[in-house]
Amino acid sequence: MRHGVAERFARLSPDEQTLLRPLVETSRGFYLAAAVLGAITLWGAFAYYLQVRYGLGRTGLNRPEYWGIYIICFVFFIGISHAGTLISAILRISQAEWRRAITRSAEFITVLVLGFGAIQPIIDLGRPDRVLNVILHAQGLSPLLWDVVSIGVYFTASSIYLYVPMLPDLAIIRDSGIKAPRLYRLLAAGYQHTPEQRRRLERVIGVLAIAVIPVAVSVHTIIGWIFAMTLRPMWHSTIFGPYFVMGAIYSGIAALLVAMVVLRRVYHLEDYFKPVHFDYMGRLLLIFSLLWFYFTFAEYLTAFYGGEPAEMRALWAKLAGPFAIPFWTMVAGCFFIPLILMWRRSTRTPAGTLVAGVAVLIGMWLERFNIVVPTSVNPRWEFEGIGRYAPSWIELSIMAATFSGFILLYMVATKFFPIVSIWEMKEGREESVQEVAERVAGYLPGAPSVAAAEAGDE
Amino acid sequence: MSPTRREFFWTASAAAAAVAFQGVPEVLWPQDQDGYEGWEPGLEEARASTCLLCPARCGIRGRLVDGRLVGIAGNPLHPMSRGGICPRGIAGVQVLYHPQRLTGPIVRDGPRGSGQWRQVTRDEALALIAERLKGLRAADRPEALALLAGYCAGSVEDVWRQFLTAFGSPNYIADDYRDGTDGVMALMHGVERRPSYDLGHSELVLSFGAPLFEAWWSPLQAFVGFAHPESDETRRSRFIQVDTRFSRTAARAHEWVGVRPGTHAVLALGIAYVLIRDELLELDFIAERVSGFEDFTDVEGQLQEGYRSIVSRNFRTEEVSAITGVPVERITSLARTYAESPAAVAICGSDVTAAPNGLLAGMAVHSVNVITANLNRPGGVLLGDDLPLAPLAPLVLDDTARRGLDRERVAGPLPAFGAGGQRDRFAEAIVGSAAAQVEVLFLYYSNPIASSVAPDVWREALEMIDYVVSFSPFLDETTRHADLVLPDLLPYERWQDAPTPQSYPYPVWGLAQPLVAPHEGGTHTIDAVLEIARALGGGVREALPYDGVETLLRERARGLFAARRGMTFRSDFESRHYEQMESRGWWLPQHTEFDEFWDALTERGGWTDLFYDHTDPGRLARTSDGRVQLMPPGLPVVLDAQGRPRRPYIDVGSRGVAPTDGFPLRLVPYRVSTLASGSLALERWLAEKPGLFPEVHWDPWVEVNPATARSLGLEDDTQVWVESSRGRYRARLKLFLGAPPDHVCAPYGLRHPDGEIANPLSVLDGSIDPLTGVQSWSTTFVRLQRV
Amino acid sequence: MTRWGMVIDLDRCTGCLACEVACKSENNIPTVSPGQAEIGRAMSWMTVVTEIEGDFPDTAMRFYPRPCMHCDNPPCTKVCPVEATYISDEGIVGQIYPRCIGCRYCANACPYVVKYFNWYGPEWAESERRHLNPDVSVRPKGVIEKCTFCHHRLQKAREAARADGRPLREEDYQPACAEVCPTEAIVFGDLDNPEHRVAQLAEESRAMRIMEELGTEPKVYYLASRE
Ligand SMILES: Nc1nc2c(c(=O)[nH]1)N[C@H]1C(S)=C(S)[C@@H](COP(=O)(O)OP(=O)(O)OC[C@H]3O[C@@H](n4cnc5c(=O)[nH]c(N)nc54)[C@H](O)[C@@H]3O)O[C@H]1N2
Ligand SMILES: Nc1nc2c(c(=O)[nH]1)N[C@H]1C(S)=C(S)[C@@H](COP(=O)(O)OP(=O)(O)OC[C@H]3O[C@@H](n4cnc5c(=O)[nH]c(N)nc54)[C@H](O)[C@@H]3O)O[C@H]1N2
Ligand code: SF4
Ligand code: SF4
Ligand code: SF4
Ligand code: SF4
Ligand code: SF4
Ligand SMILES: [Mo]
Repeated sequence: MRHGVAERFARLSPDEQTLLRPLVETSRGFYLAAAVLGAITLWGAFAYYLQVRYGLGRTGLNRPEYWGIYIICFVFFIGISHAGTLISAILRISQAEWRRAITRSAEFITVLVLGFGAIQPIIDLGRPDRVLNVILHAQGLSPLLWDVVSIGVYFTASSIYLYVPMLPDLAIIRDSGIKAPRLYRLLAAGYQHTPEQRRRLERVIGVLAIAVIPVAVSVHTIIGWIFAMTLRPMWHSTIFGPYFVMGAIYSGIAALLVAMVVLRRVYHLEDYFKPVHFDYMGRLLLIFSLLWFYFTFAEYLTAFYGGEPAEMRALWAKLAGPFAIPFWTMVAGCFFIPLILMWRRSTRTPAGTLVAGVAVLIGMWLERFNIVVPTSVNPRWEFEGIGRYAPSWIELSIMAATFSGFILLYMVATKFFPIVSIWEMKEGREESVQEVAERVAGYLPGAPSVAAAEAGDE
Repeated sequence: MSPTRREFFWTASAAAAAVAFQGVPEVLWPQDQDGYEGWEPGLEEARASTCLLCPARCGIRGRLVDGRLVGIAGNPLHPMSRGGICPRGIAGVQVLYHPQRLTGPIVRDGPRGSGQWRQVTRDEALALIAERLKGLRAADRPEALALLAGYCAGSVEDVWRQFLTAFGSPNYIADDYRDGTDGVMALMHGVERRPSYDLGHSELVLSFGAPLFEAWWSPLQAFVGFAHPESDETRRSRFIQVDTRFSRTAARAHEWVGVRPGTHAVLALGIAYVLIRDELLELDFIAERVSGFEDFTDVEGQLQEGYRSIVSRNFRTEEVSAITGVPVERITSLARTYAESPAAVAICGSDVTAAPNGLLAGMAVHSVNVITANLNRPGGVLLGDDLPLAPLAPLVLDDTARRGLDRERVAGPLPAFGAGGQRDRFAEAIVGSAAAQVEVLFLYYSNPIASSVAPDVWREALEMIDYVVSFSPFLDETTRHADLVLPDLLPYERWQDAPTPQSYPYPVWGLAQPLVAPHEGGTHTIDAVLEIARALGGGVREALPYDGVETLLRERARGLFAARRGMTFRSDFESRHYEQMESRGWWLPQHTEFDEFWDALTERGGWTDLFYDHTDPGRLARTSDGRVQLMPPGLPVVLDAQGRPRRPYIDVGSRGVAPTDGFPLRLVPYRVSTLASGSLALERWLAEKPGLFPEVHWDPWVEVNPATARSLGLEDDTQVWVESSRGRYRARLKLFLGAPPDHVCAPYGLRHPDGEIANPLSVLDGSIDPLTGVQSWSTTFVRLQRV
Repeated sequence: MTRWGMVIDLDRCTGCLACEVACKSENNIPTVSPGQAEIGRAMSWMTVVTEIEGDFPDTAMRFYPRPCMHCDNPPCTKVCPVEATYISDEGIVGQIYPRCIGCRYCANACPYVVKYFNWYGPEWAESERRHLNPDVSVRPKGVIEKCTFCHHRLQKAREAARADGRPLREEDYQPACAEVCPTEAIVFGDLDNPEHRVAQLAEESRAMRIMEELGTEPKVYYLASRE
């Protein structure tokens, strides 16, 4: 750390010191990781160049296996993006105080992963050079078009939703002058911590929090519909909208948990991401593992009970056919492992949640796989042959690059923005503690008028 | 490919572009545009011609745009194919524009088969050949010239034969469709031509293993017979297919009768038995026109059993059922159906005749037509007549020629009743004897190394021949061993007459004519022959005094013009009208001038005469006793000579054919309908999907019954060696419910993507029918081994 | 109102494949390398699909020549984000190659799997380009293609009819597959015109359509006597 910066840094409060340290200090490990991830990303980009140059033939796709890895990743990443915005919005509205430490990291996941999800369908295009036709010749009846719209809105909304609550912190950095003064002056947009500004800020956040929820829900509902609107066995299902949203949040929580564990470790945030956070998040995960089982069971039971030949072919391909391994791994990853681990408090520890989180992420990726591929290779008409699919190295490289690219960008972000909201912690310390006490008191009999409590809430 | 620095640069920008939602610059789509510009619609015309890709000789109509052949469809005026066409014919454009076609004459420049060639001009090539041939005649060894010729019936064959005869060589080796049925007709009718089937008027077609819809003489004749009249399903004729395997023909026929391999004839006689027992015969016809039905005394004055006794004693339905595996009731009902239908016909397929006792088996099948008098009557077996073409110029034999013709054929004397298997006997003879009997070999439409039963013998034989000339437009497996290649023109570039095969009862003179400008590097083989004849001078020159094929064909067409019968192709309706008139003894000339006639001929695609005089008994039999002979007197003599039981009909079943230990599976070779022999590899659309297995592309396969495969521990799509005691080849195993258990149904004519030939015929046991020389394709046993 | 449609008589179809090849020749459909074909990238707008049942000797086999069904209620056109596949007012479902972005959504939406994708650009040897049909554009890589009922033939037939100042006759517009079928198994025409054979045949008791229950309203009918 340069001398001038060092002494300025020394003047900061302890909170600020811990939370801003990543902005001024960078370990060699970081550079190493960045280099590796960067290389993978470039390699993927090269793979994509080859694909564009020579055609989608470079993938393992074929007829009738028209969609593969890219679409799977598309659904998966957009799903993850439900981590931040949606979760943090819900927590904000429900005034769950323990949220303060985790919302920021969550919202960052959303915004960054969304981009990487959104390019997947473009990577999947036979003619990316014509992608603008989607606007020039928009055809309103196509779910794909609805999707373009909803993802667009979601991206904008969640960017704002990430940015606005960050203003006070940006101002703090600007004032501390420990890093790129001009940049932060710009970003902080003249925010001055005045009570007036603070009140406005809170109101905007409140509104955004509510507005962003339906958008988020719409996004994955529509992705579900992309499949459901076709007449293909095990796609053509009304449950897909909610099923996908649920799955999205589920994978989102898992991703967030993993991120928290890692951040906690590398940036020594033990006092911020406390066992209680993992405990609570763990409970959430538990609930969703049960939800996931419920939805999946309902989906497969109806298919099975209906016994429609075409559906049965796809179904058995998963239960006991060529896709049995991905299927049962999915069940383990999305249900049994999280259930067992998150059941008891003793395993709702960082370590426990890490394992569960990773399991769920793998499971959810496989769920997307099990939705896309088995149906694709099992056409509805019985006399049509059964397809095969083996992803090519091009597809796998691009997938790897997507993961590495996202992680890389996330790492870089932590170098410019505090990954835990400084001002919200402060606010928590200074106001919420006693505010919550009052609120709780307000719920109890013989308390001062609820109005007072309400006022306290303000 | 490995990343270069430049590509890494591209990478970065491409990725950036993608992430930035900008897509990728059009620069990256070169192959879209280039090459496909500049052929916007141009001058269009449709021209009639004839397809030469297989013996059926269907009428075609080429669609031409600015002189390019962009499409081939059927010619609705052609009386046999009626506008229909098969996939091979359609894909003909890919033969014409095949990238591997030879661009000009080449001579060997290095050791045989080394693949080193030197380009020469047409004249140089012709001079080289002429020189060689002169040499032979100078040395008084004209017989040392041999020709191996594929199917080329018509003036092409006539010219070749005239050329060889005038030159003085008896070694015309026909390598074409020999199914032995001509032997049957020769014996029983005394007529040297294959049976003609009047399918257009048949109400019941009982086919004994003739792959009517696949690889028959003319699939199109069968299609038309099957599908007409267009509307009104009820009036369409009924097809019953007797077949070893569940062929495509069996699948679409109205009925399929599965029989054990090689027992078709036994079933036929079982049917004859029922007909005799239940008196469902045409007794008056038999009495007037058939001999040998009742017992008789032969030339040596001994009493001989007649057909009736033999059949009644040896083919009781129970025995037949035991041999063929067809239930007794089914046999009876087949016989009844057959007898009851006024216009029925029994067709003898080559899977009947391609067997060790094929000729006798063929007689057995045909006898069913004889005793029910389905001969010479509408819908039955007709004995068509030849085209009234003007003959070629008279033969003039000089002394050299005479001496040459008196010397023995290399392949030895022809079999008693046919000319099968000549090709391989020829090669064996060459390899067998030290003396080089053949110095110059012409290859015309023949690729023995790819198609012979004994490719290795052929390789050896070619080594022993001084000078091999191929006229193939392609470097096929045999042509690669040639010393000189003078590429022929392709079918759509050349003049050739194309008579329909004899399976079609009415004479048809189809005309193939240049649809596109001939390739500058190609030479019409017959033009070449005429030129060589001129160069040789003497008798040869006088025998072929034509300056080119076109004039030759015109000369021959004068015969049709003068014949005062028939007509140039007409629409269905008009044709029927003309037929009516002729049947009343009328005939109106449609053209007063020959040139007019010729123009009509070329414009419509050919000449035909749809009138057949059913009342003319002369057609029926030209035998010693003027009757149809069920017991041909010539036969016993030959049989004795071969030390076989002297009576026909008795041992027609392929008894004694049994698996040898180690080779448990019976090989059932068959021709895929997409195959135009030899040219399949040339038609990429067909090679990509040669059969009906959706997942099989460019890939030779064999069909095996699932149960059999299971017992062998083989599953679908495994590569297997098909191994007989004589050799093996590689193919992909396909499970097929229609394959008889313990059989291997093997399509032939396929090649592996890398060009390696997968030829079931190369593993055949090599047994032949000594009476006809026809190879037996039905008696080989194999085993399957995972590759 | 004209509704172009097709009737295919399964009792006549011998599985000869003439229709497949005629279509490839008429519509400039390229072959792909053996390796590509092996992994399911061969193209054939018309495909003869076989139904086989019963073990030897009780085997029965039926051939279903399968073009695009030109559904009256096509699931494929609805989902296309750029309207690169559409249904004309005469019921022909067509493709606009220069607009297609190659997302293959329509291909997934088609229950009859008759959409083919250009995984690579077509490869024709220099000499082979001479047999390409100038009436039909050669598709670039990255776009979807399928049976078009040979509608370029309709355009030509229209012009011709207009030139001679007469109405369009049934025989004027026949697609390549119907033209070549040697057993007249394929009949093509206007389903709404009682004069046309398709209209009559589609009424037959043997008539049925593939996966009728989906409500896609295919305009390709099959005639099959039920054994
Ligand atoms: N593998 C295999 N073997 C077979 C058969 C088979 O189908 N497959 N069929 C068997 C039967 S029944 C027969 S009759 C024989 C037939 O088999 P072959 O006698 O070999 O006849 P094809 O193979 O039809 O054609 C021979 C060669 O003719 C050449 N050719 C093609 N077009 C032209 C042309 O326009 N002009 C000239 N001059 N040459 C041309 C081609 O190079 C081709 O290789 O083979 C028998 N053996
Ligand atoms: N499509 C097409 N048609 C052609 C030709 C072509 O190139 N293409 N070429 C023509 C020529 S040259 C020829 S030689 C012919 C070939 O036509 P065919 O001589 O008919 O030859 P395949 O079609 O192979 O028929 C052989 C039949 O024998 C049957 N078979 C096999 N094993 C046995 C057995 O053990 N016993 C009995 N009894 N039958 C058995 C098979 O089931 C098969 O149906 O086709 C002619 N027509
Ligand atoms: S059957 Fe033979 S002649 Fe007729 S079109 Fe097919 S290949 Fe040509
Ligand atoms: S062309 Fe006709 S008969 Fe041949 S496969 Fe096609 S529909 Fe069937
Ligand atoms: S068959 Fe498939 S491609 Fe054709 S119209 Fe119907 S849905 Fe569309
Ligand atoms: S692939 Fe082309 S035609 Fe099909 S939906 Fe996408 S853009 Fe439309
Ligand atoms: S209608 Fe035309 S495009 Fe469609 S299958 Fe037939 S030939 Fe091919
Ligand atoms: Mo043959």
